[in-house]
Amino acid sequence: MMSKLIFGRFIPGNSVIHRMDPRAKLLLSFYFIGIIFIANNWPTYVVLFAFTFAAIALSGVKWSFFINGVKPLIWLILFTVILQVLFSSGGGQVYWKWGIITISQFGLINGVYIFCRFVLIIFMSTLLTLTTPPLELSDAIEYILMPLKAVRFPVYEVALMLSIALRFVPTLMDETEKIMNAQRARGVDFGEGNIFQQMRAVVPLLIPLFVSSFNRAEDLATAMEARGYQGGEGRSKFRVLKWHNRDTWATVIFVILTGVLVYLRA
Amino acid sequence: MAITFKQVDFTYQPGTPFETKALTDINVTIPTGSYTALIGHTGSGKSTLLQHLNALLKPTKGTVTIGKRVITPETSNKDLKRLRQHVGIVFQFPESQLFEETVAKDIAFGPQNFGKSEAEAMQIAEQMLALVGLDRALLTRSPFDLSGGQMRRVAIAGVLAMQPDVLVLDEPTAGLDPQGRLEMMEMFARLRHERDLTVVLVTHQMDDVANYADNVIVMDRGQVVKTGTPREIFKDPQWLVKHQLGLPKTTAFAHELQAAGWQFKQLPLTEDELAEEIAAQLPPQAFGGDPAK
Repeated sequence: MMSKLIFGRFIPGNSVIHRMDPRAKLLLSFYFIGIIFIANNWPTYVVLFAFTFAAIALSGVKWSFFINGVKPLIWLILFTVILQVLFSSGGGQVYWKWGIITISQFGLINGVYIFCRFVLIIFMSTLLTLTTPPLELSDAIEYILMPLKAVRFPVYEVALMLSIALRFVPTLMDETEKIMNAQRARGVDFGEGNIFQQMRAVVPLLIPLFVSSFNRAEDLATAMEARGYQGGEGRSKFRVLKWHNRDTWATVIFVILTGVLVYLRA
Repeated sequence: MAITFKQVDFTYQPGTPFETKALTDINVTIPTGSYTALIGHTGSGKSTLLQHLNALLKPTKGTVTIGKRVITPETSNKDLKRLRQHVGIVFQFPESQLFEETVAKDIAFGPQNFGKSEAEAMQIAEQMLALVGLDRALLTRSPFDLSGGQMRRVAIAGVLAMQPDVLVLDEPTAGLDPQGRLEMMEMFARLRHERDLTVVLVTHQMDDVANYADNVIVMDRGQVVKTGTPREIFKDPQWLVKHQLGLPKTTAFAHELQAAGWQFKQLPLTEDELAEEIAAQLPPQAFGGDPAK
């Protein structure tokens, strides 16, 4: 059930994209989402798509992963696109009008643009999560949050919580599945009956999950203390992030891309 | 209630990039009233097979016949509940399924789901607690106050309370002390006779297989590689090693004796059998005197 979710999964590989520094990947992905909004005509979107497809091809990850990444969000995308098409007023030729609902050339083109933006954002963020192990991602976030230490933001603690949380997502999913099966074997029907019956059926799942999380947290805290953990300050790092030439090059390519977009922009 | 697998295949997440095949062409029968042990290396598909026994999973190909119900890939999820009452599964570390405020309510949860009234269910809960060897003073306690071993017993009582015909046990003694393990295994053997249960035991403890089972299914890489009585399974140590399995301690010792020149009429599986075989072959003087006296 939940295991069908593609978003947030990591696919091991050894492509250039896989070997990039996670900080570079994270920042450039955010940057890419920013520059998508520079695009406002066909040539710019063509350039953006060409760039995204090139990046995907470079990563060596199968296309089906990206298509599956879009699938769960397709209704949200279509909903937004349809609203945009039906309710944009003015501009270009008007094809159909009924009350406040107008289908115009402007609205249609804007709808297609919004669709493209969604797809580009999802593809790029899927590429980031598919090619970066979650732990590297949390290392990158820790590094990027470092400046916030100046305003007394507990960066180490947040980073630790983040990496522990990421580590336990699959474990908790397994546990959920297991308890669900055990309760099913005792005659619980999940996802059947009216809303109240469904809510009641969740209790035998939630309580054991909370209890086991508390137990797990206690065991983990004890094990960490026993291994000499005393807080984030003054620790050394096992996974050291390294900035390579390829990361510099990637940055340069993004700068060029920005230049091209600004030049082609209407 | 017999359970029959016919050409069963099972694939996790079919049609996605994470597709994995867990079972291939399973043809096997668990006869009524048998004590069947399901053994195999970790990841051989035992737990996947086990979840087919009460239709928590449905085959992606082939059919599973549970009693009179036939489960095919097309079987709908509706109306499987009645089936689950007949096949009780005790999952690994079942203590993690406890959730009610009191032990009594937790044990009564299963029967109530299957339509028993609260009063009836409470009565069953009381009987079951005695059956698994716990004091009735525990009935009103919270399950989370109990020790690990007691929680395990309460969870097992919760499954027995459904009064299943088939009892499926997935490593029921994992993580228990030797005393607890023995008590637990003896309890299942006793229950089997008292209640005419069909028992399916998934285990890595070959001693338990030799001591209790009368039918063994060996799995390797999603396939059933051998079925038979424990004696048939344990007679070939090399074959077992090839499938990453071991021998019961007694049988291993008997094989060593055989290598040293001893002959056995039949391969000893339990300590009693081994002792009898050895005693029969010793000269009378070995018993410390003249047997005529």
